[in-house]
Formats: sequence, structure tokens, C-alpha cells
Amino acid sequence: MMVRQWVTGNSVAVTGSCLGLLSLPFGWLTLKASRLTAGTSLRLWDAFSWGVAAAIIVLWLLCLALSLAERDKRHAITIGITANAILILTFIFAGPAANRLTATGAEFARVSLSAGVWVTVAAVYMLVFAARQSLPDYRVWQNLISWTGLAAVVILLFTGWLNNISVVQEFLGRESRFQQELVKHIFLFGGSVIAGTIIGIPLGIWAARNRRAERPIFYFANITQTIPSLALFGLLIAPLSALSFAFPVLREFGIRGVGAAPALIALIIYSLLPIVRNTFVGLRQLDPAVIDAGLGMGMSRPQVFRRLEVPLAAPLVLEGVRTASVQAVGLTAVAALIGAGGLGWFVFQGLGQAAPDLIILGAIPIIVLALFVDAVMRTIVRVSTPKGLATGTS
Amino acid sequence: MIKLEQVTKKYGATVAVNGLSLEVNEGEVCVLIGPSGCGKTTTLRMINRLIEPTSGRILVNGKDTSQVKPEQLRRSIGYAIQSVGLFPHLTVATNIATVPELLHWDKTRIARRVEELLTLVGLSPAEYAGKYPSQLSGGEAQRIGVARALAADPPILLMDEPFGAVDPLTRERLQAQFVAIQQELKKTVILVTHDLDEAIRLADLIAIMAAGKLVQYDTPETTLSRPASKFVHDFVGSDRALKRLSRISVESFIKSAPTVTINASIKQAEAAIGSRRSAWVVDDKGQLLGWIDRTDLSQVSSISEGMVTLESKDIALWQNATLREALSRMLGQGFKSIPVVDEDTKLIGEVTLGDVEAATAEAEE
Ligand SMILES: Nc1ncnc2c1ncn2[C@@H]1O[C@H](COP(=O)(O)OP(=O)(O)OP(=O)(O)O)[C@@H](O)[C@H]1O
Ligand SMILES: [Mg+2]
Repeated sequence: MMVRQWVTGNSVAVTGSCLGLLSLPFGWLTLKASRLTAGTSLRLWDAFSWGVAAAIIVLWLLCLALSLAERDKRHAITIGITANAILILTFIFAGPAANRLTATGAEFARVSLSAGVWVTVAAVYMLVFAARQSLPDYRVWQNLISWTGLAAVVILLFTGWLNNISVVQEFLGRESRFQQELVKHIFLFGGSVIAGTIIGIPLGIWAARNRRAERPIFYFANITQTIPSLALFGLLIAPLSALSFAFPVLREFGIRGVGAAPALIALIIYSLLPIVRNTFVGLRQLDPAVIDAGLGMGMSRPQVFRRLEVPLAAPLVLEGVRTASVQAVGLTAVAALIGAGGLGWFVFQGLGQAAPDLIILGAIPIIVLALFVDAVMRTIVRVSTPKGLATGTS
Repeated sequence: MIKLEQVTKKYGATVAVNGLSLEVNEGEVCVLIGPSGCGKTTTLRMINRLIEPTSGRILVNGKDTSQVKPEQLRRSIGYAIQSVGLFPHLTVATNIATVPELLHWDKTRIARRVEELLTLVGLSPAEYAGKYPSQLSGGEAQRIGVARALAADPPILLMDEPFGAVDPLTRERLQAQFVAIQQELKKTVILVTHDLDEAIRLADLIAIMAAGKLVQYDTPETTLSRPASKFVHDFVGSDRALKRLSRISVESFIKSAPTVTINASIKQAEAAIGSRRSAWVVDDKGQLLGWIDRTDLSQVSSISEGMVTLESKDIALWQNATLREALSRMLGQGFKSIPVVDEDTKLIGEVTLGDVEAATAEAEE
């Protein structure tokens, strides 16, 4: 019975709940007279009201109690829902609080979200993660728990509810720039992953088929992975500028030492390893007896490839594409440093101007984009896994 | 039907198959047997051109196989490989349908064929057609492998240890099933095995190989009674008479057995036993329940009281079993007679030790 006592409860959720409670003494909102002056920090109860503060505290305590007791599916679902409720409450009340504070302050007064809110967000997503892990067989609940809070915040953003919060003001001041960089970001990471897939899959097949090709291909793919991203971006500047000097016509296609061309090339190179590796493993791990049986039944080589190798290796290959995609979303942020643009531009601008709101304006969309890409790719992997291979059929 | 002429396969310095000549006639079962690495699989795979011989000729239906397109050749030769190799992402039905699909049969014909084959190998189509290979036991997978090889009704069947990876009991059933299926279908079969008893039971002709060479090619009877060399003599071992029993089905030795139903009166039972020592007890459907001693009858008021219960599946022989199994069952259980049941486990008679001994003596000659 003692053992059973220790087994119940969910340690990740307990940690998350404690972190949530720890957010309370921090400042939640900061009021500044202008963008550059130091501000005054407001606690949860000053920023919102005692009632709202009490509600949030009660919800965190509920999460903590449920995390300690977690034993079944219903507990996990309740934890997930409560965590989302905390997130939504925080942002619903942050909007009007910001409106009130800016109205009473000076003309250029700004209200920004401070540590308390960010810690709350982190704690909420720890609970979401923990709840998901406890519900492996309930995909609908998993998705509801994962996306409801985020969707609510996005809706609040679009309705203008949060317009007086400084990050949103940074956005409103640069709306067209934001859209432009977002599109550029998607183009850079999407294009590099698509190109990486088109190059990587044949390379992986070649490596799997030909023992002599295997070594050099992996030598190249592995070594590129060990070069820091910034160094690789930098390394490409010199040869590309030389190239564009030698053949000025290339410049018309945007091929220069800085900008999108070197970024794309570097990102493609980074995408290669996970895709090549997974294609290689996907083909090599196939039971030789299966291929043998296919040939023995009278399938031609192309039929063996199409009917056996492709469907059997597809889940692993797509898993490689998923890894490459998530990695590329992050690496594209660095590409802003060599003038390729993308959401990283805001991050580096913010770092240069010591403007945290600008950093956040770049960083949060990057994180959300990575999570979104990950979720989409996971779904694709799941759908493309043949039923006989999915775990749980045996 | 199949003819190998001086076929040799070399891998660098290794000679896997060395000047092998072999002929198998239509409707015959040829079993290739020999120590591991002697070239059995290589021989089999040269016939459907999964391996190209270094030299020599292979004729199928009088045609040199090197003149036939490999895919076309293979679609007309059923092949059950050593490690089954079912396609894990496809259902049992789709697995079986592989060759018919390659041959562009229409859908209804394929569906009918799949059902037929599942029934043939003793698996219920309703239950198994939709399963995936990962949901099958080893024995079931091997049967599906055989069904898949038979799918397009090829006249020739190559089987590489088709019953290798299953427990001895299942193997016995599969072998009996093979004999029954072969009697019906009359395919030309080349089957590889490690197991001499299996060879003796299934083969019309046994080809014993050693180090890539054919050392004897004869009927099981001749192989056992007149080994061509010391190697074959040692290979078939000293219990040759016993091995010959593997070729004899119990079917022709089944005698009617004294039987009483469980609800019969003591008087009826005494009449049924007569002067014999005991009788088998069955229920009203004829299923074996146990046995009862004559001497016990006078001391009890009902059959069920004096009966010794038996687990029918542990004791009884299936009607397709061999005399060798009958003998080992008798020796193992210490019984002088063994009940025989049909497919529905209904008692149909018994086999006695005396008869088995007589058959052994006859085989000895
Ligand atoms: N691709 C290959 N390359 C090199 N040698 C091989 C190859 N395939 C088989 N051999 C060798 O040829 C010989 C015959 O192999 P084969 O697979 O035909 O044996 P087998 O009789 O089927 O054995 P087992 O009973 O273990 O299945 C062995 O010595 C084996 O090592
Ligand atoms: Mg073999």
C-alpha cells in the first residue's frame, strides 16, 4: 500500500502547480511613463483585483491538490481544464487592467506584462504537458487541453481586448512589418524543409542501398550538424558574395553574400541530417524477409519499392521531416542576423534597443509556430503509419 | 517438371552448391534435407531465380528458366520463405492476395480465393481475413505464408522450412494438414527441412545434401533401408525402423473400441466391455471423457462414479496422426491402447500396441 501511495500523483503537475503559486509574489504588470523609462511594478492583487487574485490562487491550489492525488483520467482532464482557465483569466483581466492604467497614467504610458504573467504561462504549459502525458489514449481531450488557452488568447488579441499591452502596441506599430517577416519566416523554413526533403530522401535511399555511399553521405551530414548555426551562416557569406561578384546576373535572383540565399542554403543543409538519417534507418530496418518475400512472389524492383518499402519506411521518414521542420523554425530565427529577415528580426532589433517587448514580439510567435508545425507533422506521421504497424494492434 | 542439370553456385571461394542434378516429376513432393549451410536454400532460390547459378541449367516444364523473365517465372511458382516474411502493413487477406493482384485478377475472384485458402489452411476467414500479421501466432503466420504461396494456384511450390518456427505439436498438425492438402491439390513441391521425421512423413523423394552436393536421392523407404553412404547412414541414425513409422498413418490401424456412454447403466456397460479389461467413456455427443475398468464396475452405482477422467487433447490421437506418434503416446502414457478422435474430437476407435509392434516388425524387414 505504501508503494501505491507513492505511485499516485503526478510529479510534473505538482512542480507546475508549485511554480504557478510561486508566480504570485512577482510583479504581474509594469507601468512605465514611456517606452524607455524604468517602471513601477504591480502585484497580482494591485494589477487586477483582490477577487480575481483570490480566484487564481484557489485555482492553483485546486491544481496542486489534484496533482498530488492524480490517479485517473478525470483528474488529468480537470488539471488540464483548470490550467487553461488560469491562462484565460489572466489575459481576460490583463486587458482592462492595462486600459485602466494607461488611462490614468501619462500620455505615453505603457503597460507591459511582467515576470508573474510569464511564470504563470510557463506553469500552465507544464500542467498541460503533464495532463497530456496522462491521457495518451484520449486524443480529443489532449487537443482540447493543448490548444484552448492559446486559441482564447489569440482571439483576445484579434478583438483588440489586449491592445493597451505594450507587446501588442509594438505589434500595432509594426503590423505590416510583422506580417512581412512572418511570411518570410514561413517561406524560409518551409522552403528549406521542402528542399531538404527533396534532396534528403534520395540521399537516404542511396546510402541505404549502397554501402560505399553510406560513409561519405553521413560524414557530410554529421559534420554540418556540428557547425554552430551562426558559423555556417557566416561561412556561406564569403563564397556567395564571391559568386555574385563574378556573375552579377545572379544578383537578380537574390543571390548575394547576405540575405535569403545563404540562409536558405544553410537551413537546407541543416535539414538534411534528420531526413537522410531517418530515410536510411527506415529502409535498413526493414525485415529482409519481407523484401525477399515480395521478390519471391514476383514483384518487380519498382513494385517492391512502391508496395513495401515506401509504406513501411514512410513513418520514420516523415518523423525525420518533422524533426527537421521544428529545428528549421528555430534556426530561421538566427538567419535574421545575416539579413535574411524572418521573425528573428524582431528579436535582434529588441536585443539591440534593449526593448524586451520587441524581443517577445519575435520570440512568442516563433515558439507558437514551432509548436504548431510539430503538431501538424505529428498528425501527418500518425495518419501515414499503416494500421498493422501502429503500436497497440498486437 | 523441374530439372536441375549440373547446377553450381559459388560465392567467391565458397561453393554453396556444387554440380547438383535433380529431377522432380509433376505432382511429386521432393524434400531437400541436410546439415545447416549445405546449400538447400541456395538451391531453392536458384529455381525461381532469386539467385542466379554460376553454371548449369535449370528447366521448368522443359523450359530453360534463364530464358524466362524472373517476375513472370516467380508468379507461376509459389514460394514460402524460411522466415515467413508476411507484409506487416497489410491484412492477412491482402497478404494472401499478393500474387493474384499482381496478375490483375478481378476483385470478387480474389475475395473468393482468399476465403477458399483460409479455409484450406484451417483458419476461419471471418476471424482472420482482417487481422494484421502482428496479431498472429507463429503457427498461424506460417499457415498464412503457405496460403499466400498457394494463392494463384501455381503448379509448383517451393517451401523453405515452412513449419520451422512452431512448437512440435503445431508442427505435427501442420504436417498432417500438408499431407491432406497435397493429396487434394497434387502440386509439384520442393520442400526444405532440417527435420528427418518431417522429410520421411511428407516426401515422395528425399534429396540428402552435404556441402553443396547431392549424396542420395531416393524414396523415404529406400533411403532408410539402403543408405547410399556412411554419411547418409549416420544422418538417418540408428532408429530407422522407428522413423519408418512416421510414414504410416494410424488410419488403417483404427479398430472399433469398447465404448460406453456416460449415462448408460452398469449392466449396459458390462455388456459393452465383455471380456475386455476396460472401455472408453464418451458423452452423448460421442466426445471422449475418460475410461472405466471392468473390475471397478461391480463396486459402483454409476459410470461417472467409477470413471477415470482424461483430457482428450492430451491423450487422444488425431485420425491423421502417424504410427510413430501413436507409439510415443503409448510409451509416454503407459497405455496399451490409445483412443483416436476425428476433427470434432469424437471418439472413432483405438489403436493398440500389438498392432503397432507388428507394423514395426514389418518395417524392419
Ligand atoms: N550471399 C551469400 N554470400 C556468401 N555466401 C553465402 C551467401 N548465401 C549463402 N552463402 C553460403 O552458402 C552456403 C549455403 O547456404 P544456404 O543458405 O543455401 O544453406 P542452407 O542449407 O539453406 O542452410 P540452413 O539450413 O542453415 O538454412 C553457406 O555456407 C552460406 O554461408
Ligand atoms: Mg536455409
